[in-house]
Amino acid sequence: MNWDIMISSVPTLLSGVPLTVQLVGLGEILGLVIACLATWGRLSGNLAAVGVSRLYVFVFRGTPLLVQIYLIYYGLGQFPAVRESVLWPILREPYWCAILALALNTGAYTSEILRGAILTIPHGQVEAARACGMGRWLTFRRIIVPIAIRQALPAYGNEIILMVKASSLASIITLLEITGLARRLIPQTYAVFEIFIVAGLIYLGLNFAIAQAVRWAEWRLTPHLRARA
Amino acid sequence: MHRHPPINPGAPDAVVVHDLHKSFGPLEVLKGVSLTAKEGSVVTLIGSSGSGKSTLLRCINLLEVPDRGRIVIGGEEIGLTTKRGRTIPADQRQVERIRTRLGMVFQSFNLWTHMTILENVIEAPIHVLGVPRAEAVDRARKLLDKVGILSKADAYPVQLSGGQQQRAAIARALAMQPKVMLFDEPTSALDPELVGEVLLVIRQLADEGNTMVMVTHEMGFAREVSTEVVFLHQGRIEEQGPPDRVLVTPESERVRQFLSRHLGTA
Repeated sequence: MNWDIMISSVPTLLSGVPLTVQLVGLGEILGLVIACLATWGRLSGNLAAVGVSRLYVFVFRGTPLLVQIYLIYYGLGQFPAVRESVLWPILREPYWCAILALALNTGAYTSEILRGAILTIPHGQVEAARACGMGRWLTFRRIIVPIAIRQALPAYGNEIILMVKASSLASIITLLEITGLARRLIPQTYAVFEIFIVAGLIYLGLNFAIAQAVRWAEWRLTPHLRARA
Repeated sequence: MHRHPPINPGAPDAVVVHDLHKSFGPLEVLKGVSLTAKEGSVVTLIGSSGSGKSTLLRCINLLEVPDRGRIVIGGEEIGLTTKRGRTIPADQRQVERIRTRLGMVFQSFNLWTHMTILENVIEAPIHVLGVPRAEAVDRARKLLDKVGILSKADAYPVQLSGGQQQRAAIARALAMQPKVMLFDEPTSALDPELVGEVLLVIRQLADEGNTMVMVTHEMGFAREVSTEVVFLHQGRIEEQGPPDRVLVTPESERVRQFLSRHLGTA
């Protein structure tokens, strides 16, 4: 074990953290929007919307993220329609391709988390809202969403952590986030073991922070469960 | 023995249902039920389980939509229409508006678990009626005091006993200042020793002249607070009248059998 290489690789690898955070952050935000749309479609009762949502979840949950990244980055450019579209300046950037792939992937899982959370809301809670004259939107906003968020939070925290780890695949399409930088250091040092230990520790630190943040959010949002004790 | 004071026979009708029919799949639960509750009256629905009494109550505020029949609340008929063979409200906004005048108390309380008791009580006045927050809080505190749980205002539903939760649910319904209170077996989910405190609150509301329609299995209580008792059997009204007649000297053999199974409680 070469400690000098490990220590000297730390600043380089840490410089990849902002990109990893961007990939995960933007991917999660976009993914959450997609997930909300897919959940809404799935629960709408409209046959076409249910079909589209189910197909989306089936495809993006059932194929590897790596395959999705390859298809979006290398595949889309083959179509002239894509190359000529207004989106091309975005879709030719590996940065946006990675975010898009991560968002579509996490959106599929997250929509299942949200669907599960909404389905477990006790019917009586919704009925009580209807009985005092709340309309559909008000019931959704004041009763269903707050309860569903509390239900979904533990599983969603899990999903964010999975995303942090999955973002390492972005290194495949030339992005120099933590894993990308680590791979670039290998031919310079041949210290595979040392450098990937450091990379692994950085991921561990990131995920520790995320887990703490999710725990804090859970604690803040569930005084009614804490109160039981 | 306590008795409900006589109501004014010329009082206007608060709730009228006419020839209500309702099926769940092949099961016909209501087979043409008509009922009138005058302002200030307490109408109690009794009958064995499956007789349709809860469904009838839930049709009054359209939690169940009847297949056929008319519902008139405070002189306003709820518009119903058919779409692809199903009966639905013609105007969802009308239903929501009418529901604000009908306070509903459920068997299983159905308090919103993510809100404190006070938040439960002010929720609909603020967000449905548009009452200013300070006023809603002020009114909610008075109501919680009235039902005897003001000290629990900042507690969450899980911290309360069943009886306290049901009293909070009654306060939540009263906060809308409804014209009619609907009670769906309000004490059936409670431990026996907690039933009394809830019945006490309901009795007080009856004494104050509130119009109420109630489904209950508490025969003694029904006799004391009701102005009219309606016995349902297999989706039809078997017998109805003043509590002393229906619950003491019923004409129907079925009512007599039902009461003998609830012996000692009437």
